[in-house]
Parts: sequence; structure tokens; C-alpha cells
Amino acid sequence: MPMTASASRTVGRDLLGLALIALVGLAGYWLFPDNLAFLTRVISVALLVLSLDLIVGYCGVASLGQGALYGAGAYAAGIACVHGITDPVLLILIGAGAGAIMGLLMGAIMLRAHGLPQLVLSIAIVQLLHEAANKASSITGGSDGLSGMSPAPLFGVFEFDLWGRSAYLFGLGLLLIVFAVLRFVTRSPFGMVCRGLKEDPLRISALGIYAFPVLLKMFVISGTVAGMGGALAAIATQVVGLDSVSFEVSANALVMLVLGGIGHLYGALIGTVIFMALEHVVAAINPFHWMTLVGAVLIAIVLFAPRGLSGTLDELARMLTRDRWRAGR
Amino acid sequence: MQTVFSIGVDALAYGMVLFVISIGLSVTMGLMRVVNLAHGAFAMIGGYIASYAARDLGLAYAVAVMLAVFGTILIAIPVERLLYRRVYGQPELTQVLMTIGITFCVIGIANYVFGPTLKTIPTPESLRAPVSLGFRTVSAHRLFVIACGAAVALGLWYFIERTAFGVKLRASVDNAAMAAALGVKTEVVYAVSFAVAVGLAAFGGVVGAELLPIEPYYALRYMVTFLVVVSVGGAGSIPGALAACLLLGAIDVTARYLVPDFGNFFFYLAVILVVCVFPRGLMGRAQ
Amino acid sequence: MKHVAIAALAAVLMGSAAHADVIKVGVVGPFSGPFALQGKNFKAGIDAYMALNGNTVGDDTIEVIYRDIPTADPAQSKALSQELVVKEGVQYLAGFYFTPDAMAATPLLEQANVPMVVMNAATSAIVTKSPYVVRTSFTTWQTSTPIAKVAFDGGTKKVISVVSDYGPGVDAEAAFKAGFEAAGGEIVEAIRMPLQTNDFSPIMQRIKDSGAEGVFAFLPSGPTTLGFVKAFNENGLKAGGIKFFAPGDLTQESDLPALGEAALGLTTTFHYAVSHDSAENKTFVEAAGKALGNPAELSFPAVGAYDGMHVIYKMIEATGGAQDAAKAVEAVKGLSWESPRGPVSIDPASRHITQNIYLREVAKADDGTYYNKEVQTFEKQGDPGLAAAK
Repeated sequence: MPMTASASRTVGRDLLGLALIALVGLAGYWLFPDNLAFLTRVISVALLVLSLDLIVGYCGVASLGQGALYGAGAYAAGIACVHGITDPVLLILIGAGAGAIMGLLMGAIMLRAHGLPQLVLSIAIVQLLHEAANKASSITGGSDGLSGMSPAPLFGVFEFDLWGRSAYLFGLGLLLIVFAVLRFVTRSPFGMVCRGLKEDPLRISALGIYAFPVLLKMFVISGTVAGMGGALAAIATQVVGLDSVSFEVSANALVMLVLGGIGHLYGALIGTVIFMALEHVVAAINPFHWMTLVGAVLIAIVLFAPRGLSGTLDELARMLTRDRWRAGR
Repeated sequence: MQTVFSIGVDALAYGMVLFVISIGLSVTMGLMRVVNLAHGAFAMIGGYIASYAARDLGLAYAVAVMLAVFGTILIAIPVERLLYRRVYGQPELTQVLMTIGITFCVIGIANYVFGPTLKTIPTPESLRAPVSLGFRTVSAHRLFVIACGAAVALGLWYFIERTAFGVKLRASVDNAAMAAALGVKTEVVYAVSFAVAVGLAAFGGVVGAELLPIEPYYALRYMVTFLVVVSVGGAGSIPGALAACLLLGAIDVTARYLVPDFGNFFFYLAVILVVCVFPRGLMGRAQ
Repeated sequence: MKHVAIAALAAVLMGSAAHADVIKVGVVGPFSGPFALQGKNFKAGIDAYMALNGNTVGDDTIEVIYRDIPTADPAQSKALSQELVVKEGVQYLAGFYFTPDAMAATPLLEQANVPMVVMNAATSAIVTKSPYVVRTSFTTWQTSTPIAKVAFDGGTKKVISVVSDYGPGVDAEAAFKAGFEAAGGEIVEAIRMPLQTNDFSPIMQRIKDSGAEGVFAFLPSGPTTLGFVKAFNENGLKAGGIKFFAPGDLTQESDLPALGEAALGLTTTFHYAVSHDSAENKTFVEAAGKALGNPAELSFPAVGAYDGMHVIYKMIEATGGAQDAAKAVEAVKGLSWESPRGPVSIDPASRHITQNIYLREVAKADDGTYYNKEVQTFEKQGDPGLAAAK
């Protein structure tokens, strides 16, 4: 099939976007060589927020339980690593698989309800898993955390050490791959159907499309991404705590996503980076009362940028190119 | 048999505490369609005011409760005008962001002003004494909370379903533009309902403080519980919220008695089952 | 390549520390969020020590850098510790309220050439994770073991154990069980309740039904202890003559004003009571109270932090300010001093603190406030938890 002009333009834009992410990532590597552990954390959380965007932004399913998928990946990778599977790439795949399975389960339950009750289902699921992880302390380490994993060097060469260089670059590479794939997925007919289900479920069902399997598929993809995020965190920090499968981590992810703007993959990245950087800097300046300031910033963003940061950026861009837009219509 | 009765009393009391604390949230979420995650923050403010009034100023319990309710409403008025009014009718997630922000701020301020220690609200002697029910004793405070819950449920039901204001409120919620066209001052209606919701939050915070003690992190610590209870009941439905609280309270208490090691499992399993059977909540309105 | 880099880094750090310089200590703890009180106590203990002993050791000035982890979050702990070491160039890591946070940072120590002084985290196994860990707080095993003997000697033969279901709770249960059964008592039932329990009435009913003469309880200090103790009274267990035994987390001084009357007469064993009668403690309480602003907020993490700073000062003295983790840790092995809690020493084998454990009873002072009154001393207690784990 020959590529149309607009298709080639979107591919060009995607490549540009990926290059931009890579550039920002590498800039982070050179500019903050002493904060790589933190930056790696940002990447793993970015994967979590991206995965949340897939179901919130693209399917309209609100979830405060995304930590269930993230934690499943983290624990699966952690447990595998403790039991002698130490290849980092393999561990990421294990995390992805665990996340996907959890996504399947979670989707199957959550898609039974809508709106607020659905949100509550997500909370109930993550709380149940939290309890289960605490109970199964012989496998998960319980509240003391799962420790004692030592992942093998990446590709047999690059060690995961104090400075965290290999972990960061590994994470950055993973993020780029995932992002590229997700761009493709959200753009595909399947992604379009998901969007349609969010905007107007009635019309989509009139087209003869049954919503459940479509949304469930997205849940599995979302779980895969979140699971990779969890696995990355497990590899980078070599310890998995109960916090990785908690309501708090899920709520934080949702805040970051809304902050960045839902329904744009870039929004998920922007929200994560801005929120975590803000929290990190403010908490370092005043570890005792930083919460107040972060709260104030959240309020200010709702007041002044109600569509999220990426939405506001879009608007700015649109204002600058208003004529072209009008002509387009 | 005695044990069954005993557990029943505990379950009723716990369910009522849940109800009193979370019913205000049902009003904001169900009737005003605002996902108010700062509900716990207002409950906490009420608790702090009552604690200050009763413990530090030595005022009577009833006075402290009144002060807490009206003091919290007073604090909430500017918050409503400046912040909440901007998010009425906005997407839920925007409301989540805003109200989480407010919660963070309140936690930070409470920590700074009152310090991180627990604050208690001294109850009068008459509420402290254990009351004998024949087969067991129960603290008078628990009976007081049960009575409060019943009173709040009845009063609120009457207010929403039977008064002219209730009609206006429901009209504004269902179709703000149409209500306004018919001469309903929707802004006033919203402001009053918000005040009622906040007042209920404060009342619940004070009355429930024996079970959920007041400290800065209160606002977030119990947020999940409030959210779950209200949603299971069906947001906006007073009988629904009552039913959900009693049901979940009973399951929680019974599970904690029978299988204390797995108490939370049963609570959340029950939540999942109820929501799967009643996807709109126990008595949720069709939207 | 890597070794060259480490050597270069070490050389740079040592070179800079050799002459009069600033030595940084990174403290990780819960300074905001649900455990802000405990983090505040860390800071108060550190401030008190530096106020009393000056902020210099030899020619070097000590600077403390705080980093916040509101709740147990090992990934965050690792990231912050790494940043403290690599970016801020701290020579000592300290603090750590939660066990998983401490565990997460231990793998860094050797590579970073940095000792860690644990000021609270109470799981026995932490000291085994790295030879550079020293602990100046306590372990749950250490504080929970003596109460078993107290319970048995007091004539209670059947006890029900009720603990919060998480690491320290499970430790407490195991420690009490080991001690109580060794003495000849019987644990009729062991309940582990979820951390998020708000209403304890059903648990109290359970205790009543078990037919036990006493209850051993462990809950993390803070809001839930209030509900637990109140429920114990309101459900008529106290009036019914059921004895109450617990480690001192349940009656930490900052919770006592809230517990009030309900706590009166509760017996606990712990390593530190604010009321401890000694000149050292008087000075400490005054200085820490000043640092807190509100003396009523003073609690046990402050003394762990205070003694932690003492150990760090000794380490700096021994190394002359140079970065040498092995030498620093070696220097404090066997170190003994008079702490506000009483005589203490660092056990050379485990690098954990050996200290007196006190049996205390909550009593009412003349001015109407409540305090933990020390009634019996168990001298020079080590950590039985490590041996039990083997």
C-alpha cells in the first residue's frame, strides 16, 4: 500500500517525537549525572503513567488501581531474580507477562461496571493484592520488602552499580521502544475503536463492534507496559516493596496523568517528569512541609491550565498556527 | 447466640460511624457531581476545631460540635467561591486533581499549625460511661453515634426529598440551565449544598473521632474508605449510603471477628461482589 | 575501568576531607506524611546532639542533609540514598525509620565507602545485610522479649497474642512466643490483624472468647494504638481483669496525652522512657524539647537519632574526617557510653546496640499528665532476634 502524504507526515512527526524524547533523556544523562537513580525512577513511573493513559485516556476507564499491574510486574521480576533468573531483558519480559496477566484479570472485573463504581473496583483490586502480597511474605518478603536480588550485567557487560548509568540508559531505551509501539497501537484501527468507545459507545456498538473484548485487549496492553515499568524499578533498585502495589502509587500515577493531560501519550510523559521533578526539588529544599507547596501547584494548574499541561501546550501551538487550522477546516 | 448479638451491636455501631463520616461525600459526589477527595480534609478541620474548643478552651461537648460544624463551613465558604466553583461541571479527573491539591495543602497546614500528634476531643462524662445492654456493655458514645447516624439520615432525606430547596437542588443537578431559566439561583443552591456537605463532613469528623482519631494525615488516610462506602451505596442516594455502610460495616466487623487475619480481604471482596451485582451501586440513580 | 573510577572518586573525596572541611551526613526519614511525627523526632534528636556537642569534630564541620520518605518506599530510599552519596557527597548515611528503606540502601554502602547508622528500623536482619551498618535504636525482638518473662512471673499463664500484620508485628509475636513458651506459659491464640483496622471491637470480642488471662499486643505507634487501647477499656476487658502486655511502641510519650486515662496502668517494656531518671536524660529532654518546639511531641526515635549522632561523631573522630567506612565502623565496635536511655554499647559482633530494657507502667504525674514510669530494669540486653533467625 503506498503511503499517503498525511500518513508519511505522522510517521515523520513520530520519529521527531522519539528523537526528542531520546534527546531529553540523554540531556538528563549528561546534565544530572548524579541523579540517575532518581531519573531511572522517573522512567519506570513514566511507563506506569503511560499504561494508565491507555485505559483512562484512550478507553475512558477511570482507574485508581494501576499499581496492581505495576506491582505484579515488579514482584514477578523480583521473585524471578531472587530465584536465579538474572538477565535484565528476560526480567523485563517476565514483568511484562505478569502485568499482562494481571491486566487481563483486572480488566475482566473492572469492565463490568462504569463510572464511580468502576473506580472503586480498581481500588478494591489493588487493596486486595496489597494484602495478598503482605500475607505471602515467604515469597514476597512482606512488609520488609523483597531484597537480595542481583541482576546480571546488561548484555553481559554493563553492571547495575552505584551510579546507575546502565540502569538509566536501559530504562531510556525501554521507554523509547514502548513509546514507539504505543504510538503505533493508539494510531491503529484498534486504537481508534477504543477512542470511539470512549467518545460515543452507542455509535460504536451500532457499528457492530462488541466493546468488552476490545477494552480487555487494551487492558492487557496496559498491563504489559505497567509490568515493564515495575520490572524496571525492581531491576534498578534491587528491592521490591509493598508500596509498588498500593493505592498511593496508583493515585499518584493518576495525578501525574491528569496533570500532563489525558489522551496524549506525550501528556503522560510530561506529567510524570514535571510532577516528579517538582516533588523531588521541593522535598529536597524543605523535606518537612513540601506537601503544601505541591498541593498549591496542583490547584494552580487546575485554575490556569484546566486541560492539563499538554492540553495547554496544544492550545498554545494551535493559537500560533491558527490560520492553518482554519484553512484546514 | 450472645456472641452473635454482640457482633451485631458492633457492626451496627461501626456502620453508623461510617455513615455519619461519609454521607457528606455522597451529597457532593452524587448530587453536586463533584468528586470531592478533600472530604476527609473538611472532616479533619472539624475535628481540629472541636478538639481545640473542647480540650484547650474547655467548652462543653455540644458547643464544641456546633463550633466545629459552623467553623468548618466558614472556612469552606471562601474555598468554595474561589476553587470549587471553578470545577463544577468540569471533567471528574480535573476535580480529582483540584481536590487532591486542596487535601495536600490542608495536611501540610495542619501539620505545621497543630503538629503531628494525635488530637482527641474529650467527650462528656455521660458519653464515656459504659451502658449495659443485658448481654454485654457498650460505650454510651457508640449509642450516641448510632443515634446521630439515624438523625442525619432522616434529616437529610427530608431535606432533599421533601423541602422546596431539595427540589431546587435536584433540578439544578439534573439540568442547571433549565433550572436557572425557571428562576432557580443555581449558584446559591450549589453554595448551600456545599455548605451542608461540609457541615456533615465536620460533624462526622468530630463524632467519629473516637474510631478515626484526628491527626494531620487523617485527610488522606481514610479517603479510600469514604470513597468506597459512598460509591457502593450509589452516590447521591441517602438510603443507598445507609445500606452500604450497614452492609460493609457488618461484613467488616464479622470478618474481623471470625477470621481476623484476613479481615481486609473480605471487606474488599464484598466491595467487588456488590459492584459486580449492582454496577451503579446499591441504589445509584441511572445517569 | 570501574575500579579506576572508584579509586579516583575515593581519592577526590579523601583529598577534600583531609584538611578542615565540611563533612556531610545524609539523613533519610519520614519528615512528612503519616509518620511525620517520627521524622520530626529524628531531627530533634540530631539537633539536640549538635546543640550540646557543637557542630564540629576536630577541624571539620558537620552538616546534616535531610531527605523525606513519607511511607515505606524502598525504591525511593535507594534513589535518595544514591543521590545523597553521589551528588551531595555525604560520608555517612543515617536515619531510616522503616526496615525496607534501610534494606534498600545497604547494597550501596560498600561501593560508596559509606557507613550507615540506623536510627530506628527495627528488624533484626538489617545489620546482616552489610558490614557497614550500625544500629543505635532497638529491635522489636529486643524490646518484646523481656515482657514475656514479666507476664509469666506476674502469674499470667495463658496469653493471646494480637499484632498488626507486618514485619515488626510478626517479629513481636515471635519474640513474645519464644520467651513466654520457654518460661512455661501458653499462647492460646495468635491473631495478626491488618494494619488498616479502625474498629477493634470484634478483636476484643475475640480476646474475650479466647479465655486468655492476658493479651500481648503490638501495633505501630500512632492513630491505631488509640483505637486499640480505647476498645480494650470500652469492651470491658480492662475491668474484666485481663492483663495487657506490649512493647513500648504502644505507649510512646507523644501518644499518651491522647490515650489519657485509658492507658493508665498499661505495662510495656522498651528501651527508652522520656521520664528516665538521669542527668544525661534531663539534658537531652530539655535540648530535644527545645528543638521540637513542643516538648509533648518527644518520642523514642529522638533518642535513637541522638545516639546515632554520637556514633557518627566518634566515627569522624576515629577517621580524622577521611572517608573510610571500614575504619569508621571498626572504631565504634565495642564503643560504650552513657546514653539518655542509660548505659549502652555497640556489640562488636552484630554492630547492634546493647542496652537496658525497662519495664514501665503508665502513671499519672502530679500535674495531671501521663508518663511511662520505669519500674524494673533488664540490664544489658542484646538482640535475641538474630540468633532466633538462624
